[in-house]
Amino acid sequence: MGETTFRLRVRYRKADRLRYLSHLEVVHSCERAARRAGLPYAVTQGFSPHMKLAFGPALPVGTAGLGEYLDLWLRSYVPSEDAFEALRGASAAGLAPVMVKYVAEREPSLGSVLSIAKYEVVLEGGEALQEGLTSSFSAIIAEGVLAVDHKGKQKVFELASTLPKEPDVSTSGERTTVGLTVRIGERGSLRPEALVTAALTRGALDGRIASVTRTELLVEEDGSWRDPL
Amino acid sequence: MSDLWSRIEPLLAGVERPVRYIDSEWGASHTDASYRVALVYPDVYEIGMANQALQILYGRFGALEDVTPERVFVPWKDMADAMRAADVPLFTLESCRPVAECDLVGITLPYELTYQNILEALDLARVPLRASERSDSDPLVVGGGPCAFNPEPVAPFFDAILIGDGEDAVADIVAAHRSAKARGASRAETLLALARVPGVYVPSLYEPRMEDGEFRGMTALQGAPTIVRKRVLPDLDAYRAPVCTVVPFMDVVHDRVGVEVLRGCARGCRFCQAGMVYRPVRERSADSIVRDATAALQCTGYDDVSLTSLSTADHSQLEEVLRRLTRRLEGTGVTVSLPSLRVDAFSVQVARLLGGGKKTGLTFAPEAGTQRLRDVINKNVTEEDLLRTVTQAFSAGWRRVKLYFMIGLPTETDEDIAGIGELVGRVFRAAREVTPPGERGGMRVAVSVSTFVPKAHTPFQWEAQIPLEEVRRRQSVLRDSMPKKGVDLSYHDSDVSFLEGVLSRGGREIADVIEAAWRGGARFDAWTEEFRPSRWALAFEQTGIDPTSIANRSRRVDEALPWDHISAGVSRAYLRIERDNALAAQTTADCTFDGCTGCGVCGSSLVANILAGERRG
Repeated sequence: MGETTFRLRVRYRKADRLRYLSHLEVVHSCERAARRAGLPYAVTQGFSPHMKLAFGPALPVGTAGLGEYLDLWLRSYVPSEDAFEALRGASAAGLAPVMVKYVAEREPSLGSVLSIAKYEVVLEGGEALQEGLTSSFSAIIAEGVLAVDHKGKQKVFELASTLPKEPDVSTSGERTTVGLTVRIGERGSLRPEALVTAALTRGALDGRIASVTRTELLVEEDGSWRDPL
Repeated sequence: MSDLWSRIEPLLAGVERPVRYIDSEWGASHTDASYRVALVYPDVYEIGMANQALQILYGRFGALEDVTPERVFVPWKDMADAMRAADVPLFTLESCRPVAECDLVGITLPYELTYQNILEALDLARVPLRASERSDSDPLVVGGGPCAFNPEPVAPFFDAILIGDGEDAVADIVAAHRSAKARGASRAETLLALARVPGVYVPSLYEPRMEDGEFRGMTALQGAPTIVRKRVLPDLDAYRAPVCTVVPFMDVVHDRVGVEVLRGCARGCRFCQAGMVYRPVRERSADSIVRDATAALQCTGYDDVSLTSLSTADHSQLEEVLRRLTRRLEGTGVTVSLPSLRVDAFSVQVARLLGGGKKTGLTFAPEAGTQRLRDVINKNVTEEDLLRTVTQAFSAGWRRVKLYFMIGLPTETDEDIAGIGELVGRVFRAAREVTPPGERGGMRVAVSVSTFVPKAHTPFQWEAQIPLEEVRRRQSVLRDSMPKKGVDLSYHDSDVSFLEGVLSRGGREIADVIEAAWRGGARFDAWTEEFRPSRWALAFEQTGIDPTSIANRSRRVDEALPWDHISAGVSRAYLRIERDNALAAQTTADCTFDGCTGCGVCGSSLVANILAGERRG
């Protein structure tokens, strides 16, 4: 390309009703928001020029995200506060920027650096569910592996590496919340619902998953975790 | 006022594409006026959201004082079943309110095969299916759209149906309804008031007259107009096209913003209903098109703007519009597209300009295989035009073209059918000559063949549609004559064409068939994989109606037709003259290029063609 571009990293949320968007719908919606915002976005060269932007790991339909990421390349520098305001003004409330910051062109891609995901799974059920889930998680982790069937394929996860932290289960009234930290693997990552469902089945527990939210995405570097912004 | 969201949300985890039901799109408007309008499109979200009329009406209703328009689509089968099981009624997207709580329920009539979905929507909304069963507390159910020009098959389901352009009429309908409400009018009184609004047809005020078992016309009751004339917006430039439209999150069928550049077409193709009923031709000026396209792209964030109309290449200032728009959009990755092309050099030039480096494929519609038959249907395209255009396209680098044809046109012989195969062969050879030898392997000509369906308000409205067995025989004649190499031949489903024929020229008795088919499980018949001819066959049997007597029978020119009380402006006398011209293979010129042909539209509606500049052939 040869042209100087500015790489704007956007932390955004996909929440409320808009958690029902698919990843592709999120991509197209963010592109439209960037055009509405009037930002001087860079365009790829070739037969079918399109906006230059890159996303972090996809969220499934129905899962909310409070700290998701995308990188958007601009042809000219726009102060980050102005870019943020422009994007916010052009976005629906449920799919909106939270914070923006320029990052260096040489930084590796979001897809390759975002390796830790934190989730919150909310279930319908009180204290009994909390106790049952806690012991089920311990038993599953003690086994070391979890086999998950997804769309007719079986994937086996090594839990020592997939779950860098023990699940955290808490209850408030008739709601139980499971906090999960999952390491995103090179060949796909463990869906939090899969682990929670396995725990429910194992303990023969009664609990319906009410919502799944990815609360944070982090970069793992030399054994420690940091914010990608 | 009841917000149903808390009862809808638990259903979403179990259905396909929940994004159809969540609202919250950019451009969706949330107001809380005293008068609520549910705008219903009788198909799923992703089909309805691509409909430009819906976006226009959403904007027009929203601009009225104290009126809230809200969108409604028919839930896909999984969601409809879940809603019935959970006892959740049909809801509007914006406020998640029951459709039955709205004051007015407007339903678009986009295509005959969506008719059974009107009943699906009304049933889910818990609004009585037939106007005669509704009480003062039910909303007013009003139809409109392309199929309104023969409203009879769906007439019993509607309190009123608007014929023609809706832009101005919606204000009159709301005003009439409101003032009736204010004076505490009964439903019957309200309908009488609506019948006085120009362009509004109130079916319950018309009674079919039968003699010796034969339909003899409609009797207007209680002073309703004998003939309901269509509404015509005299000048498209007099109002702004909606530029801040609702932008779906879901990928819809036409994922772009549309800007209407002209309405109406006077080419005079004798099979084409749109060409007859949307006259006169009203072009918008280059300035307003460029202004609205630019504003629409800015407001919606789309990466494509489509310049829509029945025949965009006919716009007298198209070149200027394209030059100005492409210059503005350079380097942004945003493109301009046209819905259809004419068979001429200018169109190839335009396609080159728009496509940039992309050469995905060009589509042309010669419609018939011989010059004689093209003259019969008044498709003013010669073989020379087609060969020259295709040659230019292949010289410019295109390797694929798609050609549309029809079989079953009036006066068609086997020679005309074989003519399609021969014409395709000559197209292929001409294209081959200008294609470098190394690239000839990639050449494709797609040939798409549909069965002619005679439509109301056209010169062919009296003609018989060819019976199903004859369709199959002619398809085999066509297959035998079609070159195999480099040609992909496909047909429009003949059972679908047959049903279209029945639903488009049937009378009021067809409503019983539609209801029986819906009760038998017909939903989403416009979707190939959902269409079951057997359901409709059963419905015809149950109602004792012979569908072939509607589709496959030729009518006497003096016979009363079910749509005679509806006027699209084009006179019956003109249609008869055009029919005689067709049978004599005499062509008729386009009045926007040559002189008036006397169709009657301008006189009857006090309107005229509006051209932004001089048209070039």
